[in-house]
Amino acid sequence: MNYYESLNRPRPLGIYVHIPFCRSKCAYCDFNSMVTDSPDIVTRYIDAVIAHMESYRTAVRDEYVPDSVFIGGGTPTAILPEELFRLIRAMKKIFPLAENTEFTVEANPATVSYSTLTRLRRLGVNRLSMGLQSAHDNELKALSRIHTRKDFARSFRIARDAGFDNINVDLMFGIPEQTPDTLLHTLHYLTRVGPEHISLYDLKIEPGTPFYENYAEIAPTLPDEDAEADMYLSAIAYLRDMGYLQYEISNFSRPGRQCRHNLKYWNCDEYLGFGVSAHSYFHGSRFSFTRDIAKYVEGVTVMDSRVRITDELEEVGERERIGEYVMLRLRLTAGIDENEFSRRFGYSFDELYGEKCRRFVRGGFMIRRRGITALTPAGMFVSNTILSDLLEFEDLGRFNFGG
Amino acid sequence: MSHSEKQAHIRNFSIIAHIDHGKSTLADRILEFSNTVAARDMEDQLLDNMDLERERGITIKARAVRIDYTAPDGEQYALNMIDTPGHVDFNYEVSRSLNACEGALLVVDATQGIEAQTLANAYLAVDANLEIVPVINKIDLPSAMPDKCKAEIEDVIGIPAEDCPVVSAKTGLNIADVMDAIVRDIPAPTGDPDAPLSCLIFDSVYNSYLGVVVYIRVMNGTLRAGDRIRLMHTGAEFDVVEVGVMDPFGLRPTGELMAGEVGYLTASIKNVSDTRVGDTVTHADRPAPEPLPGFKKVQSMVYAGIYPADGARYNETKDALEKLQLNDAAFSFEPETSVALGFGFRCGFLGLLHMEIIEERLEREFNLDLITTAPSVIYEITKRNGEVVRIDNPSNYPTPDEIETAAEPIVAASVITPTEYVGGIMDLCQDRRGVFIDMKYIDTERVELHYKLPLNEIIYDFFDALKSRSRGYASLDYELEGYEPSNLVKLDFLLNGEMVDALTFIVHADKAYARARKIAEKLKDNIPRQLFEVPIQAAVGSKIIARETVKALRKDVLAKCYGGDITRKKKLLEKQKEGKKKMRQLGSVQVSPEAFMAVLKLDDDQ
Repeated sequence: MNYYESLNRPRPLGIYVHIPFCRSKCAYCDFNSMVTDSPDIVTRYIDAVIAHMESYRTAVRDEYVPDSVFIGGGTPTAILPEELFRLIRAMKKIFPLAENTEFTVEANPATVSYSTLTRLRRLGVNRLSMGLQSAHDNELKALSRIHTRKDFARSFRIARDAGFDNINVDLMFGIPEQTPDTLLHTLHYLTRVGPEHISLYDLKIEPGTPFYENYAEIAPTLPDEDAEADMYLSAIAYLRDMGYLQYEISNFSRPGRQCRHNLKYWNCDEYLGFGVSAHSYFHGSRFSFTRDIAKYVEGVTVMDSRVRITDELEEVGERERIGEYVMLRLRLTAGIDENEFSRRFGYSFDELYGEKCRRFVRGGFMIRRRGITALTPAGMFVSNTILSDLLEFEDLGRFNFGG
Repeated sequence: MSHSEKQAHIRNFSIIAHIDHGKSTLADRILEFSNTVAARDMEDQLLDNMDLERERGITIKARAVRIDYTAPDGEQYALNMIDTPGHVDFNYEVSRSLNACEGALLVVDATQGIEAQTLANAYLAVDANLEIVPVINKIDLPSAMPDKCKAEIEDVIGIPAEDCPVVSAKTGLNIADVMDAIVRDIPAPTGDPDAPLSCLIFDSVYNSYLGVVVYIRVMNGTLRAGDRIRLMHTGAEFDVVEVGVMDPFGLRPTGELMAGEVGYLTASIKNVSDTRVGDTVTHADRPAPEPLPGFKKVQSMVYAGIYPADGARYNETKDALEKLQLNDAAFSFEPETSVALGFGFRCGFLGLLHMEIIEERLEREFNLDLITTAPSVIYEITKRNGEVVRIDNPSNYPTPDEIETAAEPIVAASVITPTEYVGGIMDLCQDRRGVFIDMKYIDTERVELHYKLPLNEIIYDFFDALKSRSRGYASLDYELEGYEPSNLVKLDFLLNGEMVDALTFIVHADKAYARARKIAEKLKDNIPRQLFEVPIQAAVGSKIIARETVKALRKDVLAKCYGGDITRKKKLLEKQKEGKKKMRQLGSVQVSPEAFMAVLKLDDDQ
């Protein structure tokens, strides 16, 4: 019996919707998005997402009350606003959202208008997530972002004017041409602008992106590993001084403004994703949908279609749930509460992992104190190495053949 | 046909050449020309059975084939063609093969001229009293200079080349001239079929049905199936099961072999090491008064540790080594253990090419991933207590206070190079502790250099360095000359303060610093950054002579789990964990087999 199943009341749930459309493609982006001018495709896609949500109506209503919604992409604000509004209205009809639902929409600084934002606000959207990435236009250009710092400043003001009092801004580091100084300058700029939440992502060069294809060309302009680690540590310190507390590897917020939706990922809570390449953790299974828009639309909307939209499906076994929990909770500064761990799994964290943790504690990568085990900032930045040492193969699902 | 008539129609010959001068291709054309092999069955390098030989265009094992040839005048000849390995590692095998013949075709590439191994092989042929028939090859190439080649052959080797065949083995041009020359210029064998039996073993191969198939040349007497034979050097006796000749596609029993003939015998022999190349086969009841001259027990010159990259595959590795040894008596191995690499084998080879071939065959034919330690020569150490030890593994090298004198193997090396590279090559030889002997001009453009060089310098990537300093034009040949006292030191490497036995080298004291720095740097470049800083130290005894540091890992993170894609993160960690499983624990440091090999790859001259 699952932790939540033991509680005889509706469980919280996160809802994610993926909008795979963008005005243009960024050089580092390997997310599933396409650039399209065809309103037709968008309309059919939104129809499909709505139909897809409809098919989950009963399953959700019977057991859950969604308390977070995240509409991401791609660029949700890149499609016709009417389509976005239609999606949100439909969602609210299908799912009974909780009173205080955290409702986030991602917005690109170059694609928002006051009227759109006010209408979103009126529809119940109460949190915006904007991608600034850098406050330096040369760095933005290197990332092939379509906005400038000025665009961002304008959009941010519009968002405030439209009534958004909970805004996240995405930043990146380790980007071409960036130095520790320019990163600090970007942070200085952004903390003065004063969003409630900041995500600071380390650029990862993924296969299939222009950066990957032209790696030889951009490599000399990238900060090296040590510079990046220094940037990361000094960014954490700077943001803390400015009142933004780190709560996850890449996430910082004013007190009480952590992102509820993203926390569901790290806390092993349940969420349902709709749209292409959306991921879900629902009823003890992890699954994702196809990356192919045409396939998705057909699979969801055509009666008796033979097209299967499920891409990956994985039943998470008992031992693997432990592995996931360790892997995800160690992303959080709150770390693992060992009492909660044993309540949840019936095993002692210390017995399972204590021995291996010693090296990491000794090296200053991990802190274990008063029943809490958490990574230090330096440990977070090498967390793959730590986790691949700490976790066993069965924690990672190697012996879980599904079924 | 009387016996002497029969002998008069036999020609036994080898083909000798520098590597890549077209020896095996010429052999193919001869087979084709004499209709021994139908064109439809013809494949390139027919005599080179191993994939490896075909692919690299080299001959590794000697092979013989009998060709029935009808000359233009209608006479029927039996031609025994022996294809020999061309590389310096296999000099002894070549010399035995040559002793089985009366003549040799000396193939010279018309675009390259004489090379070091052309000369070395020609001298071997002269030593064996062979009639040498030069064949100028590759004249289809635009850069061919046949006349210049002929002049070189006459000037340098001192044999007439005026009327020698000028061919293209590739296109088949003028092969008839080669056939004529074989019949006309190479003497028929002699030997008394009624004298006591003496046969020269020039190779043997293991066959899982027949046991060892021994390739022989009957010098005197007659060998028949059913005879009881004795191998004169090993003393072993066997009953002959079958004798016969080698067709291109297999063995053909003939019941007997007479003086002058080349063929094979089988006698339910289990082990190729019982039938040493160069040994003499005689009758047990009527032995020859003395064995044929020139027998040597083959000795490994180069040693290296071979370890399975995956320790669990130790037994498979052992089986594979045993199988290879069935066919290669020159290759030896015994188990050894390394702290760093686990269980493996110390293997002995004739030289670097031999080593490379064995490694490649293990990986290719047996699907093994191997870690091979740096090659080492055998050092002769006289200890203070008078004991003399031969050290083939650097980590067994005695401590300085135990050593009275140390000696290392020295070779006589000959390098042929275009004159413009002489300076660079002399620098290289100097740098490798070479002692200059002399220098001869082959013609106005090419020079032959003679040096005495320590073998341990040659195995330290000398050949590649030579090639890179001469744009690939210089060629090398060498022969072991003996042992000379030398000021040697043992160079150890420590990671995180712990010695890594697999990285221990023996070097000349003068080179210790440079080598230490070089390898420490390579270690630094190849050891992946770990959570903790890794100090690298090179030590002679307790003295640290070089140090480097692998900085601690600072970054290895998945910053973003896009849209709750947890599965991807799990897969990534699983892959990372899988990679770690393959790592070798060198002390407290994890190193991948690839990185380890990169450190041991000896490229000094880049």
